[in-house]
Amino acid sequence: MKIGILSFAHHHGEAYISNLRRMDNVELLGVADDDTTRGEALAKQHEARYFPSYEALLEAKPDGVIICTENNRHRSLVEMAASCGVHVLCEKPIATTHADAKAIVDVCSQAGIVLMTAFPMRFSVPLLEIKARLDNGDFGNVYCFNATNQGELPTKHRAWFVDPDLAGGGAIMDHTVHLVDIMRWFIGSEVETMYAHSNKIFHADEVQVETGALEMLTFKNNVFATIDASWCRPQYWPTWGGLTFEMVTQRGAVFVDAFRQNINVYSHNAQRANWSYWGSDMNHAMVNEFASAIRENREPKVTGVDGLRAVEATLAAYESTRTGQTVQVQRA
Amino acid sequence: MKVGIVGVGFMGTTHASGWADTPAQIAGFTAETQDEAEKLAMQYQAKVYSSLDAMLPDVDVVDICSPTHLHHEMILKAAAAGKHIVCEKPLARTTQQAREVVEACSKAGVQLLVAHVVRFFPEYALAQSAIANGQIGKPAVLRLHRGSYRPKKPAGNWFLEESKSGGILMDLMIHDYDYARWIAGDVETVSARRVTESHSDAPVDYGLVILGHKSGALSHIAGSWAYPPPTFITRFEIAGEHGLIEFDSEATAPIHNLILKTGGSDAPDVGLPSSPVSESPYTTQLKEFYAALADGKPTRVRATDGLASVQIAEAALQSARTNQPVTLQSLAEA
Repeated sequence: MKIGILSFAHHHGEAYISNLRRMDNVELLGVADDDTTRGEALAKQHEARYFPSYEALLEAKPDGVIICTENNRHRSLVEMAASCGVHVLCEKPIATTHADAKAIVDVCSQAGIVLMTAFPMRFSVPLLEIKARLDNGDFGNVYCFNATNQGELPTKHRAWFVDPDLAGGGAIMDHTVHLVDIMRWFIGSEVETMYAHSNKIFHADEVQVETGALEMLTFKNNVFATIDASWCRPQYWPTWGGLTFEMVTQRGAVFVDAFRQNINVYSHNAQRANWSYWGSDMNHAMVNEFASAIRENREPKVTGVDGLRAVEATLAAYESTRTGQTVQVQRA
Repeated sequence: MKVGIVGVGFMGTTHASGWADTPAQIAGFTAETQDEAEKLAMQYQAKVYSSLDAMLPDVDVVDICSPTHLHHEMILKAAAAGKHIVCEKPLARTTQQAREVVEACSKAGVQLLVAHVVRFFPEYALAQSAIANGQIGKPAVLRLHRGSYRPKKPAGNWFLEESKSGGILMDLMIHDYDYARWIAGDVETVSARRVTESHSDAPVDYGLVILGHKSGALSHIAGSWAYPPPTFITRFEIAGEHGLIEFDSEATAPIHNLILKTGGSDAPDVGLPSSPVSESPYTTQLKEFYAALADGKPTRVRATDGLASVQIAEAALQSARTNQPVTLQSLAEA
């Protein structure tokens, strides 16, 4: 099976190269990037075949592509891949507008191709354990989540992460979708209402978008949650950020720190504490699932609709920051 | 200085121990549970009074450690008698009541010292001073967490009656509303949810509150009565424009017990934090209150702080019912 990577706008594109290379029966077809300088340099660095255009890569007949453009450019590439009958794994958030997210889901459905949203947390082993215990009834009823997905300002990876158009927003757009997706997966219910309050105190002079954000959401089944989506981690914190939640249930509570599996490293070179992660690689499991879904001609464990629902909740959060009210999530 | 203590539950007992470390004299106790009052009176060689009225002529200061819904009437009585007042948090059960007691004490020219003890816990006080010294710049997002189990009581568990205690959103989480105000200033908006509002049959309770401060800062406050006794966890994380402060009571506990248990262990009625320090924060608090009463020294908690945190708690209760944020009326204008 041949898989290609479209764009290195998202830095995950590089990680996916190594994921693909470690998989059996999967070949990295090559990479294409509309930023020729970046694309050629990274293709050379990773010893991957470079295609001069997205069309050229698609003409080489990949089975699937991983789309790693800026957030607002996913749609055009998904449409291009769908028209060639090529399966798609799309970076999150799947789109920055409701219309784009819906169009992405519809075009793939009409083309009969696999559309998977890149939600790696679904493949986190600690989270899979919680999901299994939930399904086993170990916790009884779930009442609420107190969740965080915090990070440093992501500009050290790519500047466009803080561009209001290319990224579709700031911390809210970057971080809301992961936890919304995890909660939907855990409790099998849709987000009904959303309240969000944001500010721009961290990096106030460097960016135009919100850098601090707290959200409060309620699901159709009455489970409620808060999400802290802030870019509040200093760049000298021991790691990039993290994802945590407390789940409160009939049987008490469980704290989960998805990226806690670290060794603490203190090096003369770094002159600061560094948390080095030894937990299992969720990206690898995610890319593997994409290949398996293609091979087995089935729906992936994370679908395009999952990506759409997470975007809908995120857009409701932005609406709430504008109105100051708790708003209904509009679902397609 | 003679102090009379009203209420001899966990807080009355703790305050008595704190007063004993000051030059003040504990004149006596009054409480519904006479037996318990007798025991404490014996311990501190003090009297048992049949009522607050009976106690007032003998004291200079009334320390109110009764259930929250009784604070209003007791403060008004003490103020009318010209006595200074120390009052447990929450200052009163409603904003209206809190406003009335602040005004009454002001008119009567007596001090009203509200026991927001979290400001006296060394880890919280240290973070506050680090922030006041500019170590992390302007606070942006605060996360405050306080978690334990549902308070127990041998009889008459007023903690679980919302009309008396205000439940978890008021009784437990008011500690952190007050701390959030100390760090990030006045609050404009309150959005809240709690488990027993959406799941009335839940055996646990848990509250989540988002505060919007006038300064632009945001606070996330979580309160839990969902953990197994004797758990008591506190955490805070204060992220500012130039840095971050983190605290976790579990991670900073200097002693971890891995002792083989021979029998069942009893948890206290109300969970309380307990990192070993040379002086109980409750004692630190009462020493500062003593200095305010004896020498007119300033305290870190003003009566209006007690009022402001009650207003936030009341808004949280309203927001949890309506699932809409509540905008607070400015206390100065009201």
